[in-house]
Amino acid sequence: MSDSQPIRSTRFRAEREADWLALETLVKRVESGGTGQLDFQESRSLAELYRKATTSLSVARDISLDKSLLIYLESLVARAFLAVYAPQERLSGVIGRFFGGSASAAVRRSGWAILMAFAALFLGSWVAALLFNQDPAWYYTFVPAELAGERGPGASTETLRAVLFDTEGNLLAQLGAFAAFLFSHNTRVALFSFALGVFACVPSLLLTIYNGLILGAFWALYADRGLGTELFGWLSIHGVTELSALALAAAGGFRLGLAVLFPGGLTRKDSLRAASKDAVKLALVAALMLFVAGLLEGFARQLVTDTTLRIVIGWGIGLMWLAWFMLAGRRAR
Amino acid sequence: MARRQTPAELARKLENSRRWFELVPPEGVPIRFEVAGLAARFGAQLLDILITVVVMISIILLLAVLPFSIEPLVSSLAAILMLMIRAPYYILTELFWNGQTVGKRATGLRVLGADGRGLTTHAVVARNLMKEVEIFMPGTMLLVSGSVGTFWNLVLLLWIVIVLVIPLTNAKRQRLGDLIANTYVTARPKSVLLPDLSGSAPKLDFDFTPAQMEHYGRFELQTLESLLRTRSETRSSNVRRVESLVQVAAQIRRKIGYEEPVPDSRAREFLHAFYTAQRAFLEQKRMFGDVRDDKHHRDDD
Repeated sequence: MSDSQPIRSTRFRAEREADWLALETLVKRVESGGTGQLDFQESRSLAELYRKATTSLSVARDISLDKSLLIYLESLVARAFLAVYAPQERLSGVIGRFFGGSASAAVRRSGWAILMAFAALFLGSWVAALLFNQDPAWYYTFVPAELAGERGPGASTETLRAVLFDTEGNLLAQLGAFAAFLFSHNTRVALFSFALGVFACVPSLLLTIYNGLILGAFWALYADRGLGTELFGWLSIHGVTELSALALAAAGGFRLGLAVLFPGGLTRKDSLRAASKDAVKLALVAALMLFVAGLLEGFARQLVTDTTLRIVIGWGIGLMWLAWFMLAGRRAR
Repeated sequence: MARRQTPAELARKLENSRRWFELVPPEGVPIRFEVAGLAARFGAQLLDILITVVVMISIILLLAVLPFSIEPLVSSLAAILMLMIRAPYYILTELFWNGQTVGKRATGLRVLGADGRGLTTHAVVARNLMKEVEIFMPGTMLLVSGSVGTFWNLVLLLWIVIVLVIPLTNAKRQRLGDLIANTYVTARPKSVLLPDLSGSAPKLDFDFTPAQMEHYGRFELQTLESLLRTRSETRSSNVRRVESLVQVAAQIRRKIGYEEPVPDSRAREFLHAFYTAQRAFLEQKRMFGDVRDDKHHRDDD
């Protein structure tokens, strides 16, 4: 055993140690300042040295019993992996891709789920309107008291009209209305109908139908007093965006629920993960739309009191959403 | 008859109690990462919340300087600002700093994609959107829990319990968002390259026969390695260390039947030489498929 030559694993280390140390220096620089720190040549050698180090690790695991060397290589390769496979994103790239096609593609792929959400909304409104026409007392069943405020079957037509054309003058009140909107009923419904979709769609479906019921009850009440068109204008200006946002959020929930219910050839976990790619984008789009709806409700609805103009603005913006969803990113495919 | 646990088995159990997971990168060599501790993750989260709250409060203070009163709006404004600061903060820091928020940086944590192909934008967005639902929504509701009635309080309690239990039920400590986004949180690896003991061995004045090498296995070799690598800080610990080296040398000589006397002053040299010879022997055996994990390796036959 006493040959003068160093043992095999020692020679193995001596031959490669310089590469490991070079890799460690590069990795340290990336860790402190990002991959942008390196110039072209250094980036190339980072990738190359990383591959060499993975090979070293795999060999060392087999031939070496030097514990400290193994620990060193394990951690060096782990750090180098993190440096090499760091996400190479720019903010402009992420945002550009989202608006330029990935979001709209997710919406297009979710067509059936969105249809399902809108159907649930309409079903709810239709049922509520039918029931209200039979007995106005149903109104109190559907509409929560804090949402109804002074609007109800008992209120005078004048009060009802006043609510539609109420213009709170100053900026502060509008900001307040905007803030209040974002944490209002509908935002909560959107959030829950998205998040709870995982449970086989049922909670999302119920929530969406319930939201339709509230809408339908309002509608029936105002139509009953001959204020249908005015309500339509009042709702249109923000409602087109807001209800679409609700439907998209619910559709995101449906996508998750459907992935759990019908995983196809995948495991449920994998299927859920695959569906979450679109669902997350739907949620982001819904959040953006809710934000815009908040601006419209807080500011535009107070400034514009003409019913025709309200309808034009509301549906115009709705058309713009639709154009984004249908057109963006088509050419790329 | 059940054999008593050998020290090697105990040590292996200890090693396994630290949680590890392996990623297989495109290079095909599995890389080992340590699972982040829950305490560190909690600390990181607290620090991040602190940062976002401080930013939110300073923005509100700035707004308060404006010439109109914002008093009636403060609570809803705070809630909106929190949301608008928090969500981008987590997503952008994790995306641009390779899986690290400020809090994670401070506590030495990192997020990484479980498929071994790096972190994707989708994964970062998904895990942080789930964080809203998982942590912040119940958190905010907790603040107003007094006003919502027993039923909703129970729902809230159930939700919080589920969120807290999920990371404890899986070995990789993934929370709900990690499961959906397929990410792990790992402790940042540190690396120190120590000199090779066999390389720095003094000229071998000690000779060992192959028969003398048969006694020990990998575990004993690596224990000896740790012993030889220990550095002594103080004089008294140095004395104790020399004593233990002498004792270990004597024990090894007795076990392998090494006849020549070794003076106490040369105990370290003897151990060094023995380490080198034993490692060469075991590595040679390993090459030919004879893996000896510890000194009980012969019992396994």
